[in-house]
Amino acid sequence: MHIPDGLITNATSIATAVAMWIASLTFLAWSWKKAKATYSRSITALLAISSAFVFAAQMINFPIAFGTSGHLVGGTFLAVLLGPYAAMLSMTIVLLMQAFFFADGGILAFGMNAFNMAVIGGLSFFLIKLFTRGSTGNRCFIPSVFVASWLSVMVGALVAALEVSPAFAGGVLVTVPSMLFYHAIIGLGEGAITAVLISSIQRVQPAIMGGLTLLKEKTKL
Amino acid sequence: MKKHLAVIALIVVFLAVFIPLASSNPDGLERVVETFGVEEHAPFWNGLMSDYAIAAIGDPYVSTLVAGVFGTFLVLLAAFLLGTAVAPTNLEVSDKQ
Repeated sequence: MHIPDGLITNATSIATAVAMWIASLTFLAWSWKKAKATYSRSITALLAISSAFVFAAQMINFPIAFGTSGHLVGGTFLAVLLGPYAAMLSMTIVLLMQAFFFADGGILAFGMNAFNMAVIGGLSFFLIKLFTRGSTGNRCFIPSVFVASWLSVMVGALVAALEVSPAFAGGVLVTVPSMLFYHAIIGLGEGAITAVLISSIQRVQPAIMGGLTLLKEKTKL
Repeated sequence: MKKHLAVIALIVVFLAVFIPLASSNPDGLERVVETFGVEEHAPFWNGLMSDYAIAAIGDPYVSTLVAGVFGTFLVLLAAFLLGTAVAPTNLEVSDKQ
């Protein structure tokens, strides 16, 4: 769902793009501040490797129905591993490299893409925290990872549909239903892949599941 | 450190295996754009390796794989730098406690 600059076609589009740049920068500044205050140990290695994996995974499109494809976004995956704040920063790095080096997602549209994938992906953490009461041992953990992943794609697609609507003659009435239709299916892939990845990591390297416990320890901040 | 290198090697293997299997169908947003016949204007920035391909390499598989591995290491480095930028204050905080 990377929005290209080619879809920023008129004054309303440009105003939306600028507004989303401001919104994303606000969230990123907040997550930067929180990341500095929250993490009690270095997450550098995990941050670097999980970001690199998400970049690689986003290159691989899987087919869904109707001659359409989708790929893992990985926002919820990063949020579970790194917590919400580092996840937003991590995904922003991935999107930045994609936009600058590979022209995947626009420059003017970068604020939109950062919001749809990095900010919403990071925020999905709080849904899992709510469902599981902050415990990865909760039996709702993996189901809630699935649901949060699916929802992060759906909410991202909904916001993307609103953002690109000025370019469409039919406006939101065509973009919202059609984006939600395809992403409801793509989101199932997101949910399944994320659930499998997280449950595998939990089995092989339970110590890595820091994101949730990390936040629990530091609730005073 | 050994474990980290092993995971990075796995990511490269993952790309090598899955790049030929990846679907070239339009993604959800591209499909919506095509369906409603929206005309995109030409982008003002084409990137250095547009569409995850390196123009100098003829073979599409090798071209995408090299671009993908390059991007993976680029993100690895950038995220590592981000991690070290976030870390120092953390260590001070944990020292004080």
